[in-house]
Formats: sequence, structure tokens, C-alpha cells
Amino acid sequence: MTDTTPSEYVVETEALCKRYGAKLALDQLDLRIASSRIHAIVGANGAGKSTLFRILLGFLPPSSGQARILGRDSQQLTPTDRGRIGFVNEEHTLPNWMRVSAVTAMQRRHYPRWNQRAFDEVIGHYHVLPEQKVGQLSRGERAGFNLALTLAQGPELLVLDEPTLGLDVVAKRAFLESLLYSNAAGQCTVIYCSHQMEEVERVADNLIILERGRLANMSAPDDFCARVTHWVADIPFAGPPPASVPGLLQAQRIDGLHHYLVLDQDEDFAAFLRASGARSVQSMPVSLDRAVNGFLAKNHAMPAAA
Amino acid sequence: MARTQALLIQIATGDPRPISKQIVDGVRMKIATGELAVGAQLPSVRGLAQQLTINPNTVAKAYAELTGEGWLEARQGLGLYVATPRQRLSNAERDRRLDDAVQSFVHEVAALDYPPDRALTRLERALRVLAPKKTA
Amino acid sequence: MRDLFKAELLRFRGWAIAGAALHLLVLGFLARVVDLAQQPLLVYRVFGGVYALAGLLLGLYQMGSYRRPNVWLNLLHRPLPDWRIAAALLGAGILLLAVAAALPVLLIAGYQAGMTARVVDLRHWLFPLAALLIAACGYLAGAFCMLGGRRYSACALVFLALLAVSQATGPRVLLLQAIALLWLAAMVLAAFKPDLSAPPRSPAATAVTALPLQMGVYSLMLLLGFGMEMLWIMQGTHPNNTGVPPPGGHNETERMTPQQRMLAGLAASRAPQAPLWREQVALSEVQPIGVQVVATPVRNELTHAAAEQTEFDDDERRVRWVFSHDRMRFEGYRLTDGRRAGELGVGGGDAPFPAPAQAAGGLPGLPKGDGTLVAGNVLYRYDGAAGQALPRIVLPAGEILAGVTPVGESLVVTSDRALYFFDGRDAATGDALLRPRQRLPIPGRSGDLRSVELIELVDGYLVSFSFTSYAHELTGATPYQNVLWVDDGGRVTPVAHRAMAYDYSAPYRYKAWWPSPALYALRVGAIGLFAPADPLQATAPAPMPRGIQVFAGALMLLSLLAAIPMSLRRALSTPARMAWVLACGVIGLPALASLWLLYPARGQAEPQRQLQPAAA
Repeated sequence: MTDTTPSEYVVETEALCKRYGAKLALDQLDLRIASSRIHAIVGANGAGKSTLFRILLGFLPPSSGQARILGRDSQQLTPTDRGRIGFVNEEHTLPNWMRVSAVTAMQRRHYPRWNQRAFDEVIGHYHVLPEQKVGQLSRGERAGFNLALTLAQGPELLVLDEPTLGLDVVAKRAFLESLLYSNAAGQCTVIYCSHQMEEVERVADNLIILERGRLANMSAPDDFCARVTHWVADIPFAGPPPASVPGLLQAQRIDGLHHYLVLDQDEDFAAFLRASGARSVQSMPVSLDRAVNGFLAKNHAMPAAA
Repeated sequence: MARTQALLIQIATGDPRPISKQIVDGVRMKIATGELAVGAQLPSVRGLAQQLTINPNTVAKAYAELTGEGWLEARQGLGLYVATPRQRLSNAERDRRLDDAVQSFVHEVAALDYPPDRALTRLERALRVLAPKKTA
Repeated sequence: MRDLFKAELLRFRGWAIAGAALHLLVLGFLARVVDLAQQPLLVYRVFGGVYALAGLLLGLYQMGSYRRPNVWLNLLHRPLPDWRIAAALLGAGILLLAVAAALPVLLIAGYQAGMTARVVDLRHWLFPLAALLIAACGYLAGAFCMLGGRRYSACALVFLALLAVSQATGPRVLLLQAIALLWLAAMVLAAFKPDLSAPPRSPAATAVTALPLQMGVYSLMLLLGFGMEMLWIMQGTHPNNTGVPPPGGHNETERMTPQQRMLAGLAASRAPQAPLWREQVALSEVQPIGVQVVATPVRNELTHAAAEQTEFDDDERRVRWVFSHDRMRFEGYRLTDGRRAGELGVGGGDAPFPAPAQAAGGLPGLPKGDGTLVAGNVLYRYDGAAGQALPRIVLPAGEILAGVTPVGESLVVTSDRALYFFDGRDAATGDALLRPRQRLPIPGRSGDLRSVELIELVDGYLVSFSFTSYAHELTGATPYQNVLWVDDGGRVTPVAHRAMAYDYSAPYRYKAWWPSPALYALRVGAIGLFAPADPLQATAPAPMPRGIQVFAGALMLLSLLAAIPMSLRRALSTPARMAWVLACGVIGLPALASLWLLYPARGQAEPQRQLQPAAA
């Protein structure tokens, strides 16, 4: 086996396709995720996020194309490779019948790079006692315990699949704090998959949007936000036909005013609206939440900006 | 030696302004109103990130922008401090930014349909808040 | 790995202890009431079935909880090879079953050996191991049912069926169970991979999974045939349950009274005395000749079809004699208080029997409490007063004494090869070995022989043999009846040979063979593995009709041809494709079905994708 040199990318896919029957879950996906920092992956349900993770961890074979994780072919992961990748899912699957201390001891023996300090640091955010049964932990404690276990493995890559799903505000905050300010987390690349834009806005350095199995955006969240603008135009009667509106994400008519959410439009768009008969035109920036929602809700696929 | 001053700013997710922009605006406002005196030390990147529960990189980005614009200065190995006021931007840039600001203000206000003098009064009152710092 | 093993033990610890306690309670109760070491096969089958079911449920539950995508990912995504994770989980499961299934049996065996006068032989000490092996087989089958692909994972159950139908005897049963266990373990390990829905990866894994799958499909085809037969029976036109059996067929003969059967045989006779004999048959009693030993007993066999095969009671002296395979003698205990009552062997010195012995009923003229015993080729008289077994009849070495029937003042002794006629008055009196007056070789194989009946003539016996036992399937001889006359001088004269018609068509009789001759051979081999050939069960199979051979060949060719397009529509390497096509040719339809079940067809989306760039 040849040991690959540390790759610049933690995740690389080339023309990755996954087909379930007639449905394409991943469609010629070319994705490169740079190492270090926190990457958020966002997409509607069925956009292929879970499929992507399962392929990357070698639990599903791709229908065609290539997927590499930490420079390794994802279908040929060795136990050592698995030791370098931490994975936390939304269920926080842990053996319910065991005590916290026993689970910790087990993981400590499994992972050669176990970092007890990282574990203690993260678990300190929660009221988890070593003699408690895992099944008795609350959802938030469970999530925190799982994160502590995973960070203490000393992973080079940490994949979090909707880790805060179903957590209350306090638990969510505790989870984010332990993730963001743990020294262990600072040493690895984090891929964070979430539906919660608020979290994405707080944690993500890089925003990856998947749409129908394709890569739709890869940029800093601020840059993405800046691409989407909200225009309000007072156009008597019907506005321009939606198909002719450049970069249209969403069109609404509210109280006689036309609201347009558009992608990658500058002041020329005002000219377009005026040309379409607008008496007045205003524009404003939108929040990340609105930008992502508008982007994902748009009627038809847009080519990703190169 | 100045002690780290608490930086009491709020950020909001779901705001049209990105978080780093909110920090930049917040710090600028604090400096402009004199709440942050010249020479005051700012919280560390990690500290502010933890205070706001955000990614430290976001804070670092905001600090970098503030430093670039001359609001803050880095002292080697010590941290960031509020810089002595100076001409932070070129004249042309200042003019352009003022144009932008006026433009967007007018756009916003136009739709509100206030008489111009009423809008001006309000604007003047808002700007006067900055006065103490100017006179200091 | 040790941690996972311990964690899994911890998980089911409570269940295992509760199971063991319940098991011990049931066995303990039964041991107070009956001798658990001397139960008929059916009882052990029920226990074996319960162990297999318990194992199956554990396997289903345990792996069912792990197979959910997220849990599976968490289990396997760790720095351990998959097989070690599997070994940890399965090892824990098997250890738990050892506690719940095997340990109580061992304790009860210890109780019976130490605290009672009951016989506990080596074969009984093997019971706990057998219980563990059966439970573990069920467990692994359950695990595979959960982890294997949904379309085919139930095929692991064929190994449980194999355990149920295997004819292996003695300690070699354990060997067969161990082989089944290892094979199942290989199947589970082959399925224990990140992508549960994917077909097996390596050629070895494919073979290990495909063979049981093909056997499963084959069994399913047989089961389907059986279901259709049930419908046939319900409909009322099945030859076995029509009001009037098909004329001239073997069913008709089987349903006759002995007298009718004898007459039917004589009707086919051209002997000059035939009309006279027919009159005689109508007037005198026709005596059916039965057997006491259906299957040849083998030393150390774990179970017996009936408890009567291992023990008999001397009601006169209130003693129960139980045959010990270790001592090759009967061991007695008093029915009144359960205390030991000595040992029963051959002759005054209580020598061991040459073969496993069993009681063969009483004889007229014997004192009360006495009876006969049969062991190998020897018939003994049990002398209760002396507490001895005395040899009375010794057949030629190598023959199996299967039964003894008193006829008038004579004794008719049946072996696997001949009928012997003795003077019955000598049997009850005297100690000398009896000498046969006549020997009549059986005109056929013992396994085919369905019924024997005779009438006494003035000069000898007229004996009818009907060979119809397996006429409904391919192992049996073409059904026929022979009538022989053996005179007082021992001369044997053939009187009649009556050929019977088949009641079932050839496709029905060969229904186990033509779906896949290869798997039929494998089935016969697997069931007969470690089983000694039993002369009493030997048959003379009829030659196979050409039409059936052609039909089977056509099916094999058909599945070979069908395999070509089917394999092309599946993602297979060229060598694998060729191997599959070849296998479909050799094994036939079950292989074709297994190919279809193992590999999902390639998605139809592919052609569309290829069109898109052109349209763009």
C-alpha cells in the first residue's frame, strides 16, 4: 500500500454518481473540500447529503465516479483510516446499556491517539457522571458525550451529520461551544451538516450547498449571502414573465408590489425592472437564512457560479 | 497598560448583515461614540468568539477589517488596541463611501415618503450622537 | 475487540441468566417426572427446535438492532477490521447461548448421573454440546437473516433444516452440526461488511452464500410441490385418498387386507396349485409378518426413535432395564424406589451385548415377565428369574435381525435378507440355540418391502412379499408383489410375480431430481453425511425414465441460456459472469434464481444519462 502524501483536500469527488433505481441521488458531483476549518453542508432533504456521507465512509458504493476521503479511496478504507475520521450522526448512536465510564474506556482502547484532555474538556460542558447508564442521559448530554468521545479520538476529519437535531436551545448552545472552542476541534477539519441556518451562520467558514445531487455553491457564507438580493418593484398590472427575470430565485406579489429574490444581480437589475414598467425600485440585502432558503426553493436548477 | 475592555456588542443571526459585518459596525460605533477609548484593549479573538458563540475565524475576519481600516492596531504579542484616530481612508474612498451611504439612505427613505426636512432632522440628531467623540 | 465482546455480554447478560434459570426450571421439573436421558427422538427434537428458535430470535434481535443504517455505521466505523467486530459480537452471542441452552442441560445430566440410578452414557454428556451447537446454528442463521440481503438472507435457514433431517448418528452428529456452524459463520462474516445491501464481495464469499441460497431455492421448489400436493389432496383426486384407489396400482395393494393381497398375488400365478391355494386362502387365516426393528441401532447414537428401543420393564419384578451404550448391557433400577437393581448382560457372566440391544416383545409360552431381546443378528430370551439374557437364535453373521412373529406353533424371524422359520415350542423351553427349519430369501430389498404375509400350507408356507414402500419416489423399486412357496424341506418355489402400475406419473416421482440433479445429489449427500448405511433401509431404485433425464437436461440448458442475458444485465466481472453461466448450466434453475436474487439488475437510469449530453 502506498501512503499518499497529506492531501490538500479532505474530501475529493470526481463525477460521483449514485443511483437508486431510476433516481439519481448524486449527479456527477465534483466536490473538493479543503483541509482545516469548518465546512457546512446544506441542502434540502433528498439533496444527497446522507448518501454522500455514506459513500465517503465506504458504506455505499458509488454507481460511478470517484470519492476520496483523506486522500484514500473511500471504498478501500482500512481500520487505520477509519481511526482518522470521526463521525457523529443525529441519533448519537451509543450503547444504551453501558455506563458512561465503560463506553469511554472502550473507545480509549480502540483509538491509539486518544486524547483524554480533549474528552475532559468537552464533557465538562455537560453534567454527565461516569457511573450513569448511557440510556439515562438526556438528548443533549448524549450529544455532548458523543462529541466528546469523537473529539477525543483525535480525528483529522470530523463529520457531523445534523448533530443538534432535536436539542433544546441550551443543549444546542453547549454543543456549539464545545465544538467551536475545543482545542481538539481546532486541529481537525470539520464537515458540519445542518438544516439550522442560525448554526451555519455562527460556525461555518465555508458554505457548501448541495442541490439534487449536484454542487450548487461553495464559498464563504458572507459571499454567498452577498450574491442574493431582494428587490421590491411597483409594477402596475402583471410583472415580467418569470422566465425572463434574470437570476430569479423567488417571485412573490404582495399587496400589489412585486418582490423578487435574485441571484448574482447588480444595479442592472433595477434597469431591467424599470424597463419592465416599474414605477419604483428598491433593493436590500438578505439574511443567510433567507438567501439559502430562496436558493433551495427556486423552481429550476441554476448553474453553479464558477 | 490598558486592561481588556468588555466589548458589549450584540450580534443577530438572520440579519441581512453577515456576523463579521455586524462586529465591524458594532466596534466602529463603540469607537465613534467613545465607549471604546483610544488605547483600550479589545477582547481576544477566541474570547469574543466564545462570548458570541460564533466561529473564531469570523471574529478574526472582523478584526482584520477593522485593523485594515485603521480603527484598531495590533501590538506584537499583546493583542489589539483601539488606534489613535487618523485619516483612515483616502479622500476619494471617503467620498465614494459617503456617496454610497447617502444613496442607500435616500433609497430607503424615499419609500417612506417623509418630507425631506423631517428626514434631515432625524439624520442630524443621529449624527450628533457621534459629536462627543469629535469634540474630545 | 475484547471490549466489544464484553459490552455485548453485558447487553444480554440479564436475558441469558433468566433464560438459563427458566430452562433449568423446566428441565428440573421434567427430570423429577421422567428420565430425560431416555426420551423418544420427538422430545429431543422439540428441545432442539426450542434451542434453535431461541438462538434464531437472539440473532434476529441482536443484528436487527445493529443493521439500522446509522447504528451499523457507528458499529463498523472504528479502527478495527470488520471480522474482528463480527467475532466479538458473535462470540458474545454464542457464549450467552452456552449459558442459557447448554449449561442447564449439563447440570441436569450431572444431577441424573450423580443423584439417580438412571443411565447416563457418553452420548448423554454430548447433549449440552449438541444443544449449544444447535442454538448457535440458529443464532448465526438469525444473524444472517438480518445482515444478508433482504432478497435472499432467509436461505440461512436451510442449515436448520439440515440439522432436522440429517441422518448422522452418534458423536458424528456433532461434527455435522459443527460444519453447519462453521458454514453459517462464514456466511455471516461474508455479510458483515459496510454495505449490507451489496452482494458478497469475493468469489469465496459468493460461493459460501450462493450454495445455501441455491439449496434454499431448491427446497422452496420442493415445498411448493408439497403445497400443491396438499391442494391435490384437498381436491380429493390424490391417489392416496381417493375413495377407490387407481386399479392395478401400488396404492390399491397397500390398502388391501392381507387376505386380499394374497389373493391378488395368487391371481397372477400360473402354478397348477394356484386355484387350490386360493380356496385355502379364503378359508384360513392369513398371517401378517411384522418387524420390531425399523432402523438398525448404532452404538452411541444420541437419540432413538422410541423410548422402547432403550428400555423395557420387567413388570413381574418391578424392574426397569435401560440399555447403556457405554456398558453395552442393560442397567436396572427398581420402579418402586428408583434404586439400582443390577446389570443384565449375556449369559451367566453378564457379558456385553455384541450390538445395541432392545426388547422385542414376549413369546407364547414364556414365563410372566420374561420376553425377547434383539441385538444385531441375535435373539435373546430375557430370563427375569436369573437376571440373564440367553441367546436363542443366531442368524448368519452380517444379517440384521429385524423382527420375530409367532405363527401358530412356529416362529418367523425376519432379517434384512430372509425369513427364517423356527419351531416355536423349542423357543420357550431349553437353552440350546434354535436351528431354523427353513430359510426363505427376501426377493427384493428390505427398504422396499412394504408388507409380508403368509399362510400355513399342509406342506410349508405360502409367503407374499409386496415391494411398494418407495414406489411414490425415485429411491424406490418399481412396485411388484412376489408370492413364494417354501415347502417343509426348505425348497423355495416361485408362485407368482405381479407387477403393479405406478399411481404417480414420472414427473411426480422424480420431482426431487429434475429441478436440479446436482442439488439433489448434494441434498442426498448432506443428509447422509456421517450416517452409516442401514441394510434395513436399502432399496433397489428403478431405472430412471429417459423422458425425465431429457427434461432435466432441457431445464439445465434453459437456465444456462437464460443466464447469459441475465448476467449481462448485472454488474459482474467477465470471469464471474462465465462462472455464473456455467453454474446455471450445471445446477439449473435454482442457480438461475440465486443469480437473480443475489444481484439486483442494473438501474434503468443509465441510458437516459447517456442521452443528456447529446441533448444539451
